Amino acid sequence: MTVMNFVYGFLVLLGVFIFQTTLTGLNRKVTARLQKRYGARWYQQFLDIFKALRKDSTSHGWVFDFGVIMALGGIMATVIFIPISGFQAFPGLDNVFVISYLLAVGMLGMAMSAAGSGNPWASIGVARALTNMLAYDIPLMIVIFAMIFAYDSASLSEIAAMQQGMGILGWNAIRMPLGGIVAVIALLGMLGKKPFDSFIAPAEIASGPMVEYGGKHLGFMFILHEFMTFIEVALILNLFFGGGATIWEYMLKYAILYTFANIISGVMPRFKIDQAVRYFYRVPLAMAIVQGLVVILTGLGVTIWF
Amino acid sequence: MSSMNNIINEIKAALAPLKMETPADKQIAAVVRPEAIHNSLSYLRQRGFTQLCIVTCIDWIKDSEFELVYILFSWTDGIHVQLRARVDRNNPVMVTATDIFPGARYYEREVTEFFGVEFTGNEDAGKPLFLEIWDDLPPLRKDFDPQAYSDSKFPMRERGNEFVSEIGGTEK
Amino acid sequence: MVLKNDDNRNIWEKIGDYFSANSIWMKWYCTGCGAIEMPPTMTSRFDMERLGMGPMATPRQADVLLITGYLSTKTLRRVIYSYEQMNSPCFIVAFGSCTINGGIYYDSYATIGRLDKYLPVDLYIAGCMPRPETIMNGFNELIQMIKKGEAKGWKHYQENYEWYKKNQLDSLGEIIIKDEFHE
Repeated sequence: MTVMNFVYGFLVLLGVFIFQTTLTGLNRKVTARLQKRYGARWYQQFLDIFKALRKDSTSHGWVFDFGVIMALGGIMATVIFIPISGFQAFPGLDNVFVISYLLAVGMLGMAMSAAGSGNPWASIGVARALTNMLAYDIPLMIVIFAMIFAYDSASLSEIAAMQQGMGILGWNAIRMPLGGIVAVIALLGMLGKKPFDSFIAPAEIASGPMVEYGGKHLGFMFILHEFMTFIEVALILNLFFGGGATIWEYMLKYAILYTFANIISGVMPRFKIDQAVRYFYRVPLAMAIVQGLVVILTGLGVTIWF
Repeated sequence: MSSMNNIINEIKAALAPLKMETPADKQIAAVVRPEAIHNSLSYLRQRGFTQLCIVTCIDWIKDSEFELVYILFSWTDGIHVQLRARVDRNNPVMVTATDIFPGARYYEREVTEFFGVEFTGNEDAGKPLFLEIWDDLPPLRKDFDPQAYSDSKFPMRERGNEFVSEIGGTEK
Repeated sequence: MVLKNDDNRNIWEKIGDYFSANSIWMKWYCTGCGAIEMPPTMTSRFDMERLGMGPMATPRQADVLLITGYLSTKTLRRVIYSYEQMNSPCFIVAFGSCTINGGIYYDSYATIGRLDKYLPVDLYIAGCMPRPETIMNGFNELIQMIKKGEAKGWKHYQENYEWYKKNQLDSLGEIIIKDEFHE
């Protein structure tokens, strides 16, 4: 690890921030067109973040402040490890397990600051967020473990590289179709989009963990949300949709996947948290188990393929 | 579903009201003495009029009386019954109806707050429900002047000249 | 209330005001009967998100507090709680004639007559109730005011805090909320 790795990491962070924020702004326009209206400007998300960073903020003690910084720091550390079409800022460290564990740091940071703020809405929101995590993780992890067992490697860039060269037939979403469907549903759960956004729930629990954030804390939370979105979509993209041979192909596939998730969530209502858990433990869990058994016992899709 | 005439005759026989009329189709109005309100309400509740729609009050300042109004509704017959009773204005006391209709609790609180009628047996009646920190007469009485109260507590905006006094001139 | 417009902002405040003007979050708390005109303004026909405005759930996250219509004394106590929790810079927009001069409830014992004795108002929108086109016009006006630095209600509140508090206590008696849910 030299200084150049850290410089590459900083450049990755900057590029990811600009790309993801623009894409979020464009998706606000897509949601608006679904509802037959014009929608916000494409750079509206930038304006929101800078406006939030400009306001004064109220603090509730150092636990509250430190929780936000811990969450943001952990997530920024995770973004640096994600491979972007073969380019990695820290080569060799992009393990699926590292990324999954570091994703939990964001949630734990929010939980810590929610505990520090002392607002009961925040604790309800955090309890729901952790329950949500429990719901979507189990089917997704079954499919990912089966895939890791079959491919004999847990590194994101290697799995992405093994899917290239065969066009669309090489994607894991085509080789393991049930696993691909489970992955897209779990992506909706991870992103916190409808129908699984009951832990944000603006009018019900006053936006959950973010209830006491104002000003700069809220700006940090928005930046955190952008980075978390990037990590989750890039994880599913690398594991199931083949990564990208060039950076333009990567960006295009990323934009299509994120817009697809946004369009699905734009027409759905919100599940209650127990309905979401029950949903994930029925059909997606069954599909994941079937897919896992198929891959492990017969190797169909991994060793037996074109 | 008994017919309307049957119900009117039965109520007249049981309650012995001072006055009885039918202001509209499927509506019965009866005036009783204030001491008979409690028995009338329990009789009507057993008769099938299980929903208490409202408890309210009218201020007859010239007769120096308050008139309490109870409206009941029966879901099986589809008929409204209105009971009225007059109490003395200088000492307005009435027995509570919460043991027959528990929902009368809040209606009686409202009548206490806005008219000053005391309901014995309703221990919540003194607590304010709508008006907080009220320091004047009960506001829906007819000798309360809302304009004077509003002018004294909530100042209005001073208005300058609202018209141009000379053609082509500026406002003074 | 016309404040003297002396534009002594430095360059960072000017940039910050540009961001504040183009992304205003309103607090989703509608007092009074004028709130019926907020859903049409927010939804697809007169889309409010074009201007960058959107609803937010709590006072800590919001920029603008909309007083839509009459304000009874009971609500005013709670609105004062909400306004003092909002992070500066924050704005108040008052809709309807009830906030200007009492409106049709001018002689009521429970509603206030003139809002800017109790809270600093940046912009009045006249009407009973103003239609969504009027409201959008008003929001455009608010955006221009913020860009020029004229929306300084929050500074006025902080500098003249005793004057506002005296007016509030004269009219309300007490601002501590005493009801059976807060015992």
